[in-house]
Amino acid sequence: MAYTTFNRQINDQMKEPMFFGNPVNVSRYDQQKYGIFEKLIEKQLSFFWRPEEVDVSKDRIDYQNLPDHEKHIFISNLKYQTLLDSVQGRSPNVAFLPIVSLPELETWIETWAFSETIHSRSYTHIVRNISAEPHKVFDDIMLNEKILERADDVTRYYDDLIDGINLYQRCGEGTHTINGETLSISLYELKRRLYLCVMSVNVLEAIRFYVSFACSFAFAERELMEGNAKIIRLIARDEALHLTGTQHMLNIMAAGEDDADMAKIAKECEEEAYAIFRKAAEQEKDWAQYLFKDGSMIGLNKDILCQYVEYITNSRMQAIGMKAIFSTTQNPIPWINTWLVSDNVQVAPQEAEISSYLVGQIDNEVDGGDFGDFDL
Amino acid sequence: MPSVKLSNGVVINFDGSAQTLLEALERKKLEVNFHCREGYCGACRCKLVSGEVNYINEPLAFVRKGEFLPCCSVPVTDIEIEIP
Repeated sequence: MAYTTFNRQINDQMKEPMFFGNPVNVSRYDQQKYGIFEKLIEKQLSFFWRPEEVDVSKDRIDYQNLPDHEKHIFISNLKYQTLLDSVQGRSPNVAFLPIVSLPELETWIETWAFSETIHSRSYTHIVRNISAEPHKVFDDIMLNEKILERADDVTRYYDDLIDGINLYQRCGEGTHTINGETLSISLYELKRRLYLCVMSVNVLEAIRFYVSFACSFAFAERELMEGNAKIIRLIARDEALHLTGTQHMLNIMAAGEDDADMAKIAKECEEEAYAIFRKAAEQEKDWAQYLFKDGSMIGLNKDILCQYVEYITNSRMQAIGMKAIFSTTQNPIPWINTWLVSDNVQVAPQEAEISSYLVGQIDNEVDGGDFGDFDL
Repeated sequence: MPSVKLSNGVVINFDGSAQTLLEALERKKLEVNFHCREGYCGACRCKLVSGEVNYINEPLAFVRKGEFLPCCSVPVTDIEIEIP
């Protein structure tokens, strides 16, 4: 019940459930109950990148020349992504590590959250470059109502789970009076909160990032803010992997072989799961409206973006065995896919491995004149 | 040469000129959703109605029974598929 950082109970890790079994003792990867998490760790490690690898210096000029309504689109998306990655950089660790029971899953959670911290660092890299006053951008996140509205739904399920775990690990199942307040918790209720939390994280990574991704790539299609787009591609590549991670967790839970309670909970929470998807999609459509309130950008407007939200919502729901809730069946912006292909972001190995090679070493300013004295 | 039959009746011969099923479908100008093209995101998930496919790279994405990822697979037998 209480958490211990090195559980002395000798146990067969292959027989533990994903969550709420014995806390993990030996971090060993010679055997895995779910090999997929080991593979996800390896993939995520192979994806490692640093924001400084990407030259964003041309973006400063591009940004200064953007009309105000496009500046608003660009900077609002950055703020929103900063919020999302602030949450994702810490919450999987805080919420899931105290209750995880498999070493490969524990390390996957840590690897996943760590990569989110790289995303957060990349936003500072971008903002520092385009603005002489980066603090104003970050300070506004805590004041911007449109962003805070979303923060509530993004964090609620994490907070409910974390709160329940704290009570359970301190006092155990039952009704407890703490500081004059009467609180109840059961293991079953905790598992329910866990399921809903993983579902909400899945939705966050499946839908919430993509409005912003679409805008970044729409700028880059016009050869604007291309440094930013390169970073967003790396982030999108990571997010696709994280999404696969939560999809596996949800599917393992729903199958019930890992923990029979979870299959029951998955059924009981079906309606709530649909509601989480629906609400996120509606919020993202509202966000599209806020982005384009002063004008659209070339190649993208509110309606197209809303259709895209519906399209990816359907596809993400079907991935975890749910039914589509929107009638949209066509991707209204098929060009986005070429920005999301992973082999196009692959860098040469020498560029990815030696950190000193990465920083400011690559000259992005090349034009036809540079090949003037080049003969074959 | 295995054939690929689609739910709308179109039949494609997988003659080896395409590396993967996704490429073969795209050459016929069929619209299939995709992102990573490496098997880890699952965006290209399609239904495998009948037949068997072989994975060039084992997919990391969750693939439920009766589904397959065209981005990293080739047909072993004649197959019948459904693009969502």
